[in-house]
Amino acid sequence: MSDFKVTIRDHSENIQVLDLKGYLDAHTAPVLEDAFGKLLNEKKYRIIVNCKELTYISSAGLGVFMAYIEDVRANKGDIKLSDMTPKVFNIFDLLGFPMLYDIVSSEKDAATKFAEMK
Amino acid sequence: MKLRKLLLILSMAVLFVVVFLINAATKNIEFDGSLIFTIRNLCALGSFIILYFTIQIYKSERRKGIIRQIGYVAVWTGLFLGAYLLTSFIPLKGFESRNFKLYPRDYITIFLSSLLSIVAAVFAVFVTLYLKDLVHYKRKKTTKRNFLFLMAFILAASCSSLSAPQGENSVLERFFTILAVLLIIANSFRLAWIAYLPRREKFYALLYSFLSFLGFLAILIILSVETGWTQKGLLYYSYPLYTFVRLISIFGAVYFGMAGISTLFHLPTAAAFDRKQTEISSLHNLGKLINQVFDLKELVDTATTLTFEDIEAASVWLEVVAVDDERNRLVSSKNISEEEIETIVSHSSSIRSVVLQSKKFLLIDSVPEDKRTTYIPKMKKVSSLIVVPLLSHEKLIGILYASKDIEYGFEQDDVEILSGFADQVSIAIENARLIKKSIEKERLQRELMLAQEMQKRLLPQNLPHFKTVEMKGVSSPALEVGGDYYDVVMLDKHRVGIAVGDVSGKGVGAAFYMAEVKGIFQSLSKIYSSPKEFLIKANEALYGSIDKRSFISLFYAVLDTVSGTLTFSRGGHCPMLFISKERQEYIKPLGLGLGLVGTEKFSSTIKEEKISMQSGDICVFYTDGVTESRSSEGEEFGYERLFDVVLNNKRKSADEIKEEIIQTVWNFTDEKGYHDDLTIFVIKWIA
Repeated sequence: MSDFKVTIRDHSENIQVLDLKGYLDAHTAPVLEDAFGKLLNEKKYRIIVNCKELTYISSAGLGVFMAYIEDVRANKGDIKLSDMTPKVFNIFDLLGFPMLYDIVSSEKDAATKFAEMK
Repeated sequence: MKLRKLLLILSMAVLFVVVFLINAATKNIEFDGSLIFTIRNLCALGSFIILYFTIQIYKSERRKGIIRQIGYVAVWTGLFLGAYLLTSFIPLKGFESRNFKLYPRDYITIFLSSLLSIVAAVFAVFVTLYLKDLVHYKRKKTTKRNFLFLMAFILAASCSSLSAPQGENSVLERFFTILAVLLIIANSFRLAWIAYLPRREKFYALLYSFLSFLGFLAILIILSVETGWTQKGLLYYSYPLYTFVRLISIFGAVYFGMAGISTLFHLPTAAAFDRKQTEISSLHNLGKLINQVFDLKELVDTATTLTFEDIEAASVWLEVVAVDDERNRLVSSKNISEEEIETIVSHSSSIRSVVLQSKKFLLIDSVPEDKRTTYIPKMKKVSSLIVVPLLSHEKLIGILYASKDIEYGFEQDDVEILSGFADQVSIAIENARLIKKSIEKERLQRELMLAQEMQKRLLPQNLPHFKTVEMKGVSSPALEVGGDYYDVVMLDKHRVGIAVGDVSGKGVGAAFYMAEVKGIFQSLSKIYSSPKEFLIKANEALYGSIDKRSFISLFYAVLDTVSGTLTFSRGGHCPMLFISKERQEYIKPLGLGLGLVGTEKFSSTIKEEKISMQSGDICVFYTDGVTESRSSEGEEFGYERLFDVVLNNKRKSADEIKEEIIQTVWNFTDEKGYHDDLTIFVIKWIA
């Protein structure tokens, strides 16, 4: 019923970007899990999730971020979310995600924040 | 039936006695053409007719197989022959012949003649009935007619001499006799039963046929020997009977002569015919099996056994490919051990891959010589081998192996039987699997229905009633069970706690956590009366105990039903919709979802708010199933539509407002739309 796609791309040497596209729910969540799993396997812990083309995220989709954030932060990395549409932001906001994650307006801002972390 | 039989036998005996008495009384009297002579003949004829019906009843009560029937013919022929010869050696005065008429010289001759004649009649009737059955086997349209004509001519020939004294051959009689003989020949081609006999029985048929043939021939010869009194005795007793016995004996001799020769010619093909029969019956058996056996193990065992028997194999085994993984599982074997199979399979892996790829059977005529199997250690019982794939919808579901203990042991027939078998077994296995699957599915469905019932009971069955406030709630899962939750608990005399929550995800997983939330709510709400405090404690209970990627959003409000003060906190849940005269908006105090973070972070972010409810004020709590439900075009229901529905119906009761919201959501999503678990809880201050 719903299409969801994740593409992994390098932002810079040590920052990776996940481009989310479409509809993220319980059925499509494993796709995102696989992508996170792959990055963590490669010991890449600085991740920007670009939500520009993410049209919807369900509770199961939100759960995916919770599954990996501990590991990522334990390895001195972070998951930063960027380019959210207002609708998707509202879903993140309801649950209080802005208190847990850096939600920024652009990849550039995210990269800057990563740079500040050093 | 018994009475009828008794009556028949009784009247027959009376007639026999009458005939005997007349014979005895008229021993030396010339009564040519007189009334008494005709009466005697009619009585004799009557007794034979009754005899015929009696034997027919007796015979129809005991139906026998073809071979038994021929056997009985041989026995009866022998019996009559024996009786005839035995009586011939009794030295009696016999008959005096005057003017072609016979006059018995003493009473004992009359008596023995009568006895022998009765035996002859019984013999003739039995033989007639057995022959009738044989001729009528696999009858055609003309069969019955031809046989009836034959019997009619035989009877006509016999009866045409009814009024004539002994020993005279009338022209009419000769005419009918010739016709009868012609029809005897015609009827003797009715030998259809031979073909259908199993091989073993054909030998018996041959033996009995020749014995019967010789018996009838002997009877015909002795019937024409005029010396001694015996033949004259029959003639004296009843000339028609004599003619009848003679004609039936001719029929018997011709029929069994033909039968013997025909059986002889059938013998070489008997084995092949047997095989075809077995093939048909075993396929038939297997067909029955499919409808009866749903246990896979039992099914393959029977299939292996049937294969083993039907093609006379030295060993048979059947591998069924497991559905879930590619590993082959040995299911059944006959006359071969698992180790031996392992040896064969491991030394001839190319065979299997050829069959797997081609999906056709593979025949190895000589296992030691064929280069694909030459590495298999020599095994006598595996001298030739056939490998047949079991296919279902072009998918391989098993492999059937059969071996014989001689090279070039498999004939075309075997291959055909095995192919037919493989098809049937495939269907049977597929059926068994489908049935197992559907039973399992049905069981799960029942379990889910049970879970649904249980979950319904976790929601409040009755809401408390107040003079000051109306409250109504509804919850509907998207699947059988869901993660939505609402509950109401009385905290003290005036204050009521209201919780509306949503577990992440859907279905059974969510339902379990929902039950856990219910437990937490029921126990903690009475201890921590501040909504903020309650949520902090609830988060503490949930964090770490639930899966990392799961969380619960919960809105908790405490309403003082006397003062109208509503205190509330939001744990990551949808904002509350508040409609009053002055204020119409979503109220969204800060707060994280439950189970996401530890107590420190959670308690530092959560806020508590307070409002005062006035008459006509409405609060709507709901889950995201309402705002995120979508129309068939993919548009979301959203916050504005919810807001409008409540605002437009603010004068209605809490129950009506709840119904209006549901109706609007249903109408919006229509059939093709989508909705999540959906919960609505409405309170309206009416004091």
